[in-house]
Amino acid sequence: MKLIGLSLKGLRRDLRAADVRALFVALALAVAATTMIGFFLDRLDRGLTRQAGQLLGGDLVLEDGQPFDDELRRTLTEAGLALSDQVDMVSMVSLQDAFQPAGLKVVDDHYPLYGSVGVDLGQGVESLAHGPSAGHAWIAPRLARLLDAGIGDSVQVGTLSLEVTGLIDREPDQQAGFAGLTPRIMLNMADLDATGLVRPGSRLEYELLAKGAPAAVDSLQARLDALRRDGVQVRDVRVDRPSLGRSLERAQKYLSLAGLAAVLLAGVAVAMATRRYVDRHLDTAALLRCFGASQRQLGQLFAWQLAWLGIAASVVGALLGLVGQAGLLSLLTRFLPLQLPPPGGLPWLMGVLTALAVLVGFAGPTLLRLKRVSALKVLRRELDPVPAAGWVVVAAASLVFGALLWLYSRDLTLSIGILAGGLVALIVLMMVGRALLALLLRGIDRWPGSGTRQRAWQLGGRQLARRRQASLGQLLAFSITFAAMAIIAVVRGDLLSQWQAQMPPDTPNYFAINIQPQEREGVSALIRQAASNASPLSPMVPGRLTTIDGQPAREAVPEESRGDGALRRDLNLTWGGDLPAGNTVTAGTWFGANAKPFEDGALPISVEQALAARLGLSLGDEMTFTVGSDSVTGRITSLRHLDWESFQPNFFIIFPPGALDEFGHSYLTSFHLDDPDDPVLGEMVKRYPGISVINVDALLEQLRGILGQVTRAVEFVLGFVLLAGVSVLYAALTASRPARAHEGALLRVFGAGDSLLARMQWAEFALLGFASGLLGAALAEIAALGIYLWLGLEPTVHLAMWLVTPLAGALLVGLIGFLLSRGSRRQSPMASLRLLGET
Amino acid sequence: MILDALSLEVEHGESVAIVGSSGAGKSTLLGLLAGLDSPSDGELTMFGQSLGDLDEDGRAALRAGRVGFVFQNFQLLPTLTAIENVMLPLELSPRQDVTAKSRQWLERVGLGARLDHLPKQLSGGEQQRVAVARAFVAEPDLVFADEPTGNLDEATGARIIDLLFTLNRESGTTLVLVTHDLGLARRCDRALQLDDGRLLPAASEHRSESPTANARGVTS
Repeated sequence: MKLIGLSLKGLRRDLRAADVRALFVALALAVAATTMIGFFLDRLDRGLTRQAGQLLGGDLVLEDGQPFDDELRRTLTEAGLALSDQVDMVSMVSLQDAFQPAGLKVVDDHYPLYGSVGVDLGQGVESLAHGPSAGHAWIAPRLARLLDAGIGDSVQVGTLSLEVTGLIDREPDQQAGFAGLTPRIMLNMADLDATGLVRPGSRLEYELLAKGAPAAVDSLQARLDALRRDGVQVRDVRVDRPSLGRSLERAQKYLSLAGLAAVLLAGVAVAMATRRYVDRHLDTAALLRCFGASQRQLGQLFAWQLAWLGIAASVVGALLGLVGQAGLLSLLTRFLPLQLPPPGGLPWLMGVLTALAVLVGFAGPTLLRLKRVSALKVLRRELDPVPAAGWVVVAAASLVFGALLWLYSRDLTLSIGILAGGLVALIVLMMVGRALLALLLRGIDRWPGSGTRQRAWQLGGRQLARRRQASLGQLLAFSITFAAMAIIAVVRGDLLSQWQAQMPPDTPNYFAINIQPQEREGVSALIRQAASNASPLSPMVPGRLTTIDGQPAREAVPEESRGDGALRRDLNLTWGGDLPAGNTVTAGTWFGANAKPFEDGALPISVEQALAARLGLSLGDEMTFTVGSDSVTGRITSLRHLDWESFQPNFFIIFPPGALDEFGHSYLTSFHLDDPDDPVLGEMVKRYPGISVINVDALLEQLRGILGQVTRAVEFVLGFVLLAGVSVLYAALTASRPARAHEGALLRVFGAGDSLLARMQWAEFALLGFASGLLGAALAEIAALGIYLWLGLEPTVHLAMWLVTPLAGALLVGLIGFLLSRGSRRQSPMASLRLLGET
Repeated sequence: MILDALSLEVEHGESVAIVGSSGAGKSTLLGLLAGLDSPSDGELTMFGQSLGDLDEDGRAALRAGRVGFVFQNFQLLPTLTAIENVMLPLELSPRQDVTAKSRQWLERVGLGARLDHLPKQLSGGEQQRVAVARAFVAEPDLVFADEPTGNLDEATGARIIDLLFTLNRESGTTLVLVTHDLGLARRCDRALQLDDGRLLPAASEHRSESPTANARGVTS
């Protein structure tokens, strides 16, 4: 206890020392970076789950072709879930002579479980937490247009007449995109029977939506698995959350990477600052030995002191991180649900753990030196304990960093890979660094010139090259620092430019569907007239997957996929000889324009890979589809990956050219129009009233908005990493200040003027910075290659980085070093020497 | 071989000066006497305890609270204020009155007004006075002083020596002083000359019985 108090006191007194401050800043920054990113990702993740719950309509959604029984409802309710029933179907809706297929959504009085419906009841759009009441219908504006219906009109649904009382602006539980191509009509469950649409053979989707705690859902797992085997589609929001999209996933990975870079930087800063801390405390330790302290007491005393420092820095860092994540979130609120869950406790814990781990790993071995100090040092100053061996220091730091990597990435192979690569790079770096210093020394000796300026550069260069061990240490530390900074900056740049490339200004913002074969020419001509980036018209025909390899599809797929939507709904089948733009074949070969049926009559087909994975399909499997009253069989010859964010028509299944021509089919295309009021749109609707034109500008805007906001988050974090890098430079240069000041004082005793000294120091720092920048750029280029493969980006060579890093390095190190050594230049040489005698 | 065939006993309450030219091994001898170092051969006892039987930690424990030091280069910690420097030895052993006691001792050496100054804000003489206060604050039985005036001008040095002897007398402490200044040495009860690794009596010296510290046949 005594020691703990003493260590606290010692630390408080020590706060005056620059190295302790550098340690504090480095640790606080590491904790701030990790907690900021941890808090942010944690809340983003939970926020997105909540949003997904809203999109899905509940935390748990069951879907089946027949009504759910009361026993199941009871089980769910008893587990603590709130339920809501819904029935979906496609049916004709009519008003006088106009008929239009519409997507019926029949909701009960508990709808919606999450969020609200945006509906215009005649006085502008308002948010309502309920559906239409009995006898009423709400319809989508598109349906209103197609039927020429308005509020107050009565539409016919089946055998029932309903009054239109609202126009639907948005549904809370509608997946982004345009999955339901038929326009929506929403009615009350009480009216369902009266429509006469519930008959044997009618295609109804019964949905049971449930809202409740994850634990409640978990308690039902066995029952849910049984339902899956019975062919009920079971969606759990945590598992079946719509994917973030590759852009957001990359952003997430980038942020984690930046957090780790900040930790590494802080580690380097801690290692550098600890060297100075230990040097400075050798005298204290020797004195305490003199006064009778044991080795154990000394070890404990300094360990406690650093532990307090670590804890204080963690608290400050965590607070900074809390503020930082609030800042990050405020950048992102535009596309996130308004109330995010509050920050959880885990990032705090991780932050403190990170700080202590960094301390143990990066400061520990160096700190042990204090324990071994001899009391005799008070009499004989030269009696310093030998520093810890370099490999011990590196090994301890690597071990801890590797453990942190593992903790954060939860990927053991990746962590070991990075660590092994890093160690190899470090050894190479050391050899190259040594060679570079030797080269510098030789270069200077051959460098002619005797002006003040040259002399300053020669002196500075020689100082640097001759102080081999110390300079090499700094060179390594700064190279790693610059490499980490450069990687984070460069990856950010490429991430952003690839995002922009992914959504060029002429991304299609309109889809035209339901184009009949005889309308093709005319529609194409119209689109060509005004629009850009039009995709070729793709034919499509709805088909239901019935058998796989001759077995009923539901029995052939893995048990958990028996309720998959692809088995219970029509899939849009297309055909053509060219691989659609944005598609890549991941297995097998593309059948091409001259594809022939197999001998047994099956047609070669190409299947989207995620669907194939879900349904357990592989190359050579046979799929039979029912199209109208016929059936068609295909054998899988290729799997494709396709980009769902491309805003091009995308298809799960592609048949060879002409294969489905004889079936009744329509065409689909997408195109870009600058002007939403372009007369072409009106012309198209007027000339071809059967065609539906869908505007996806809102969706596009939302995606662009997300990318824009994430971009800002990424830049915010980049700024943080750069700050951490500067803290390393500060810590390292602080550590080397006394040695340099001593040299400076001696040189002044020997007659060096102030300006020569200033120039010499500037030259030394600038050379150090330049060399570190050069090595850092090389390190960054190698590391970037690995990171790009991990992020799924195209690897590139970064010429600008090779230029900027050494120059920025020279400038940064030069400036910080120059400013830090200003104090020693101002003092008289006697004062500097005297001061050094005491430290 | 720095020290050879050397025997010395110091009695409780006695003040002993060891004089010698630079490089004669004075500091080595002091280090051995104080148990900061161990001899390659020979025997050392402190407070009746043989130092040869103790490891470094054991010797440290023996010193704790009972031995004070004054160094030529003061050995004040630069980031600690005057009072904090004085508090340091007290804080190693459990006691309550650390601050009050340290203040009292700084007042006794005439630095009552400079408690919160850092060493670099103090003159050389003031720094050595802080060091003297630090040496006596734990009320040790034994104080070692290594060239206490070596870094000070003559007048300041004289004042420090006065202070050292006054405190020594008032607290009844044993004082072992290493110096090259014969005038200073003469003020001790006994002065010994270290020459070529051997200890010879210097001028005005008397021996006494019942030693508290002794070294015999030291080689190193």
